[in-house]
Amino acid sequence: MAFISFVQEYFWGFLLATRLTLLLTAVSLALAVVIGLVFAFLKISKNPIANLVAAGYIGITRGMPLIVQLMFLYFGISKLVVLSSFWAGTLALAFHAGGYVAEILRGAIQNIDKGQTEAARSLGMSRRKTMALIVLPQAFRRAVPPLGNQFIIGLKDSTLVAFLGVPELFSKSMTAAAANYRPFETYLMSGTYYLVLVIIFTWLVSKLEKRLSPDRQEATS
Amino acid sequence: MSMIEIKGLQKSFGDLHVLKGIDLTIELGQVVVIIGPSGSGKSTLLRCINFLEFPNEGEIRVNGELIDPKTSNLDKVRQHMGMVFQQFQLFPHKNVLHNITIAPVNVKGMPNKKAVAIARDLLQKVGLPEKEKAWPSQLSGGQKQRVAIARALAMDPDIMLFDEVTSALDPELVNEVLQVMQDLAAGGMTMVVVTHEMGFAKEMADQVVMMDDGLIVEQGTPEQLFENPQEERTQAFLSQVL
Repeated sequence: MAFISFVQEYFWGFLLATRLTLLLTAVSLALAVVIGLVFAFLKISKNPIANLVAAGYIGITRGMPLIVQLMFLYFGISKLVVLSSFWAGTLALAFHAGGYVAEILRGAIQNIDKGQTEAARSLGMSRRKTMALIVLPQAFRRAVPPLGNQFIIGLKDSTLVAFLGVPELFSKSMTAAAANYRPFETYLMSGTYYLVLVIIFTWLVSKLEKRLSPDRQEATS
Repeated sequence: MSMIEIKGLQKSFGDLHVLKGIDLTIELGQVVVIIGPSGSGKSTLLRCINFLEFPNEGEIRVNGELIDPKTSNLDKVRQHMGMVFQQFQLFPHKNVLHNITIAPVNVKGMPNKKAVAIARDLLQKVGLPEKEKAWPSQLSGGQKQRVAIARALAMDPDIMLFDEVTSALDPELVNEVLQVMQDLAAGGMTMVVVTHEMGFAKEMADQVVMMDDGLIVEQGTPEQLFENPQEERTQAFLSQVL
């Protein structure tokens, strides 16, 4: 009984904080895809300087703990420009996830059969059109499952911006647990929120995967 | 004027010297069939003609114009040359109709309506009018290859290049593709065909070219080549495949 009233007490407050978590995650991951695409192209490029830049970026984002990157960027950037903790956190998350997204997209692009490019070029398509119309759509389709994975990781990573003072779901639970001395129930509850988000998201990704591959559902041969 | 004129063409991949000096002229409306053992450079020669591979030495003239892969607009050159591949290479994320319209619309800037009309006409010609909404993965190999031919024809090319287009097909599907190619040849299309189908070469070729080890060993009409081959290597090759 006590637990039910506990849930009632925090349900709406946590839901409100969840909204911030979702916003933070969505914006940072959208940015990560843009950043990832740019660095994927730099890494594929034949220009050795571009390769080096991409390798450096990917190496740094993957080679340092996220919390260190968060702190570094938050305190580093705020020396140059005044940023709200929300934007500092969002940008740092995007910077971090961008490295992983770059690798996912690079792999997906390079895995498209070279014959597809040749077929498009043989029809007179430019390099750019071949990439935009033939290679990228197929690469994105293949990248959906690993990107979905990365997005789930990104959602969970968003908890760390609590340490920058962003009042998202995890931050709310820390505050609540400190005030009510019931950390077990508090974290059980916020953990359930994250779990539900991940379940919904996983379902959406599998929907998207099917939608992007209409040919594979009805395939007869 | 010759449509394609190749002089002293050489191509290497690293240490591998694949083409060792090819001279070949293709006249307007001719069907040229290139035969020869695997690894003789047939496909590489074909891929040099539309510059999917850049030659290391030699000249290629298209309609009299010398093409330099470094300075010429190759996209423009390729628009006038259709190519069909052994592995079909249909675009799996587009349905059949879209596979055929994508180049005319996006390369030539043709209005979609007109491109669709042309595509339907071509599907009729290759015998697949009912498949326009199908996905490539739903087609048999022979059907895929016929769509691939229609896709190349949609750009209204001056010449068609066929790179072993029946080699990946089950034997019973070979004829439906050859039939489409015969119709094309009969319609006056200039064609360069790399193939192991000697029947097609005998029946349809104006000129048969025998290649071995990066060189043209012998060339002539089908009668000359198949009935009275002059070179030992041609005789040896033909005795194996016929």
